[in-house]
Amino acid sequence: MSGQHVAFQDGAPQVFEADYVVAGSGAGGAAAAVTLARAGFKVALVEAGPWRDPEAYPSSMYGTMRDMFADWGQLVAMGNPLAGDAIIPIVQAKLVGGTPVINSAIVVRTPGDVLDDWRERFGLGDVFNEATIGAKQDQIERELSVTETAGVGMGPSASAMLKALIQRGAEGHAINRNVREECEGVMQCLQGCKRRNKRTANFLWIPEMKDERGGLVLSCAPVDKVLLENGQAVGVTGRWLHPETRQKGATFTVRAKRGVLVAASATGSAPILQRSGIKLPALGEGWRAHPGAGVVGVYPEAMDMHKGASQSVASLHYRKDIGIKLEHLSLPLELFAARVGGAGQTLVHKLEAYRRCAMWVSAVRADAVGTVKQNWLGGVSVKYQPTKKDIARLRDGSKIIAEMHFAMGAEKVWPGVFGLKPEIGPDEVHLFDNAPLDNRSYTWVLSHLFGGCTLGKDPNTSVVAPDLHVRGVKNLHVVDAAAIPTTLGVNPQHTIMALAMVTAERLVGG
Amino acid sequence: MLQLTAWTFARIFPTTAGLPGLDAIDARPLIRQLTAEAPFTIRATLWVSVLLFQVTPLLTLGIPLPARWLSDARVDEHAQRLSVSNVYLLRQIMLMLKTIGGLCWGAAPEVRQKLSMPMYEADSGRWRQS
Repeated sequence: MSGQHVAFQDGAPQVFEADYVVAGSGAGGAAAAVTLARAGFKVALVEAGPWRDPEAYPSSMYGTMRDMFADWGQLVAMGNPLAGDAIIPIVQAKLVGGTPVINSAIVVRTPGDVLDDWRERFGLGDVFNEATIGAKQDQIERELSVTETAGVGMGPSASAMLKALIQRGAEGHAINRNVREECEGVMQCLQGCKRRNKRTANFLWIPEMKDERGGLVLSCAPVDKVLLENGQAVGVTGRWLHPETRQKGATFTVRAKRGVLVAASATGSAPILQRSGIKLPALGEGWRAHPGAGVVGVYPEAMDMHKGASQSVASLHYRKDIGIKLEHLSLPLELFAARVGGAGQTLVHKLEAYRRCAMWVSAVRADAVGTVKQNWLGGVSVKYQPTKKDIARLRDGSKIIAEMHFAMGAEKVWPGVFGLKPEIGPDEVHLFDNAPLDNRSYTWVLSHLFGGCTLGKDPNTSVVAPDLHVRGVKNLHVVDAAAIPTTLGVNPQHTIMALAMVTAERLVGG
Repeated sequence: MLQLTAWTFARIFPTTAGLPGLDAIDARPLIRQLTAEAPFTIRATLWVSVLLFQVTPLLTLGIPLPARWLSDARVDEHAQRLSVSNVYLLRQIMLMLKTIGGLCWGAAPEVRQKLSMPMYEADSGRWRQS
């Protein structure tokens, strides 16, 4: 029952048919597509990026930016530069399998307090609760070989962080990852995993959907619009885009007999609905993230960030009282070179210590709320800036990390904060208390993104109802991070997959 | 622009006693590749950043000369001062140059060998065409 894959096409317009069409093949799209296909429906999965097999993943970060990142990593969140706002890079992938192909494979169950909050404030009722989400998360963990990081996956930098947390009396744990025990700890998580140890949809769920269940995959096929007829979603349309030359190809239309599921990410789903002519007051609003930044510790002995997984230790100890998650994050040398302060001889002298450096980060459960909109150039604009309170959280987290580095024997730390000394010694950690509350002083990165099509019970403040159907349109659902109405304070891919699967099962059930 | 970009990267990532820099490693192949492959907006931002690096010694050192005409020591000082400039957009220019230059420098076999790190395999860029 082999299905079909259609990559970049030039020439005459092409039309396909399916029961369901899913726009986007990341955590939400792939999970929804395989669920619908397993129920016997013909599913068309339409992905803006190309389909790369693990053996063809790049090794270098240049190749990763070119082959994996959405538009070479150009997407940034901006406020008003004239008002002193910062430019913050957004990390997202564009390929079959989506961002999970290039993330650190962190799997965290949806926290109970988040589900409680969603039930009380957003009217989730019985649609998504600990039982329905938990059952799907059990299934996902089995199917994606989720295991606790151990052995060579724990590089020296991560081991030191875990030891520092224990010594501090703070909660700390080896991260659960969708990675097989065969992980060789070669720090290629961010470039994808050539060894197929990171279990991602592009070589599991999507081939199952296509090869075993007769599904259709369109790759290099960015969806432009959802087709709406008589208030009902009946398909999607777009135009192929060559992943190397960026040449536009033929137009495609995929007609769906039963419905359309949009899962084009927190930066993509709302713009698709906007381009489709859907006008809801909350569309593009409620955009949120976990902005984060790291502090580097420089040790007398090797910490070898190039060994182990890119992330393998985390702490939720400060999630509730401060609103931060602490994580170990190893960076490839190329990215580290940009992250370290200074230039010229000063910079390269610092980089001589790369093997002795460890970077641990604070990811902030931010209060900031932004927007995502289609812009007049045909691209996407994200307006978002962490609030002063968010910056203060990061500052607190950075101070804790600096203390942990020194507790583990670091000789100095590099805060990476403009306005603070570039190098801080063990007796100078208090300086963090006076670090500026200015976004432009921090090397923020946005990696966990939410909203733009947020769910809720109030039609004026939500785009999708608690069952994730788009208000005012029949047979149209948003099944990815775009629907999530709050930050989680933990890594979101597990929650996104579970929401998508539960929604798809409800559709299947009628 | 190729030569000027390579020259700029060499000043941002110079050779030290401990590591080879982009003055000892030819960054031009990767710059050529980037010129051929990257979207216009990335190329344009890179070229603007390279040009601004040239014209800003007046702001960092008070010297009204292009960076290229300065001594090695003065250019090094210029690069460092630009990276810690009070002007956010000037720091962002340096971040852009460090990011692209870092892609060249951090993947270079000479650098990785000196740090006893594994070499990268070639990036095939392959994707399923059917």
